[in-house]
Amino acid sequence: MPVRVDLVKAIVAKDLRVFLRDRFYVLVTVMGLVFYVLVFWLLPDTVDESIGLGVHIPGGEQLIAQQAGAGGGFQIVPFDSREALEAAVTDGSEVVAGLDFPEGFLEQAATGEETTVRVVLSGGAPEELRPALVGGVREIVAAIGGGEPPVALPTMSDVVLGPDRTGQQLSMRERMQPLLVFLVLIVEMFALASLVAAEIAQKTVTAVLATPTRVRDLLAAKATLGTGLAFVQAMAIALATGALLQAPLLLTVALLLGAILVTGFGLIAGASGRDFISIVFWSLLFAIPLTIPAVAVLFPGAAADWVRGLPTYGLVETIVGVTAYGEGWAQAWRSLGLVAVWCVVAFVMGLAVLSRRVERV
Amino acid sequence: MTADDIGEPAADPPPADPPTAERPTDAPPPGDDGVALRAVGIGYAYGDLVAARDVSFAVAKGEVLGFLGPNGAGKSTTIKMLTGQLPPREGSIEILGLPMPDKREEIQTRIGVVFEEKNLYPTLSAHENLRFFGKLFGISDVDADGLLERVGLAGRGDERVSRFSKGMQQRLMVARALVNNPEVLFLDEPTDGLDPVSARSVRQLIREEADRGAAVLLTTHDMHEADELSDRVAFINDGTILALDTPEALKLQHGRRAVKVRFAADGVVQEEVVPLDEAAGARLAELVARPDLITIHTEEATLEDVFVEFAGRRLE
Repeated sequence: MPVRVDLVKAIVAKDLRVFLRDRFYVLVTVMGLVFYVLVFWLLPDTVDESIGLGVHIPGGEQLIAQQAGAGGGFQIVPFDSREALEAAVTDGSEVVAGLDFPEGFLEQAATGEETTVRVVLSGGAPEELRPALVGGVREIVAAIGGGEPPVALPTMSDVVLGPDRTGQQLSMRERMQPLLVFLVLIVEMFALASLVAAEIAQKTVTAVLATPTRVRDLLAAKATLGTGLAFVQAMAIALATGALLQAPLLLTVALLLGAILVTGFGLIAGASGRDFISIVFWSLLFAIPLTIPAVAVLFPGAAADWVRGLPTYGLVETIVGVTAYGEGWAQAWRSLGLVAVWCVVAFVMGLAVLSRRVERV
Repeated sequence: MTADDIGEPAADPPPADPPTAERPTDAPPPGDDGVALRAVGIGYAYGDLVAARDVSFAVAKGEVLGFLGPNGAGKSTTIKMLTGQLPPREGSIEILGLPMPDKREEIQTRIGVVFEEKNLYPTLSAHENLRFFGKLFGISDVDADGLLERVGLAGRGDERVSRFSKGMQQRLMVARALVNNPEVLFLDEPTDGLDPVSARSVRQLIREEADRGAAVLLTTHDMHEADELSDRVAFINDGTILALDTPEALKLQHGRRAVKVRFAADGVVQEEVVPLDEAAGARLAELVARPDLITIHTEEATLEDVFVEFAGRRLE
């Protein structure tokens, strides 16, 4: 039997009114949206992954000037004294490591005389930096002395498996985008869970079901409201952050799926929770794993394989792919398909749990 | 088998001779005979806990049937089965000639329910609550002001329910139950928590609804309310109907009948209760003739007394 649209509309309108009368959720929603948009635009949209390297080389200032800006991932900064170099490395804001050459190094290196070069590292320098710098110094000495490295370097070729995103590192702003969208969706999951739980705890659901309203009408209304609230806000964030400018239809579909997904989990949390604390607990139980893929984008290479199995992984992949790499349907359909499957699972589970709970009130 | 045996409502007017108040269990005869609600042998259990078993009764149009029993007796479970919130595990229910729960949707358009819990939307106003439930009944133009006036809440329609006192919320619940002009009203403790004045106005409203022709099933543990409002009363305890009859018949048949006489013997006020048995006439004449007689009162049984006789426990 189909749902009765007039009843669903009446319940949705009532729920929306109840939602808007709840100052807490209205405040959290509005402030959240403003805050997320602000954070997004304040974050840098450029990538600077070079490492600051301080160099103190008495009498070799001209050599440093030639090397500065040579690239290779190092930003070379000259220092006049050993003390100044060490102070800068300790501070760590400009350089994370330094090379301290002794007085007369150039002459000694050219004549093959033995010298000592100090490699200065800050505590936060990557572990791989020390051997890299040592190797670099040896090459410098070989270049100054006119000698060759002890082995002949092989010719190298590289093969990139999957999309070649070398040199296309994401800026912090781009990395945060999926997380911001997710935070909005998660907040709405809390809100829906709270609305559902209140309806059950106050037993207003009993009064509603004593009218010609059926459980299916009630469920349809809750699902519509939850999806609508989450989708509208996710779209607002996408619009305010400029994400919708690229592949708007694809991103709209992705966000709609995301809204459906969190609504399914919101229904489960709302039907399972008996008071505010239990709603928070249940919502967090779902919110944390759902947010992991969005957080993983912040730390490239940190995501384990199991993260790919989380319901929101495909969604994050799509958002990043579309907004950062300009991907289209051809690349995103597989991820979206996976999200759609998760949507069905979450929604069916949510409706089943809520239906069972409502009938037992 | 007669209608009285199964708790059928009496034809108008109620019989002068009180019928027997034995537990009704047999099925009532079918057919539209002015009966608005008929339950036959219905029962429900929450797991191993039997909340209601073999409950049979009927309520006529325009009749108020009081369901009297202590907390946990099975009153609310019975109402839940009758209003379609719980499917009966056994027996059958017919409301307005339609089987419940098979025709639940049709039935629910024609009934009104006042629940035991104050299940209103607290952040919505009284108007918004009434209009929302009106829409659920398919009524787009609910006379919210008229309903609020009937329950003594005129002029309070725009206030949020969360600001209402418990009594005002209870009255709003009654107004909500009348949104669809119901033919059958289920009232679960409708005057619970009300001050005496509000309780009286709600009782008057219930009487008006019955006079309009609505069948009213009223559950209460207030014997005075049941006595005042009900055309007939059913005692329920441990999920079973113990007795079903008019309040008068129950009191006459099962209650104590006596007269209490107070007099001042040697300046000290004393009282004597005279049972209305064969020897009562002579003893009463003797007492009435005393020059120091102060008052004479009849000692009528209350429904509570009768309930205790049936259930072996008090209502509270």
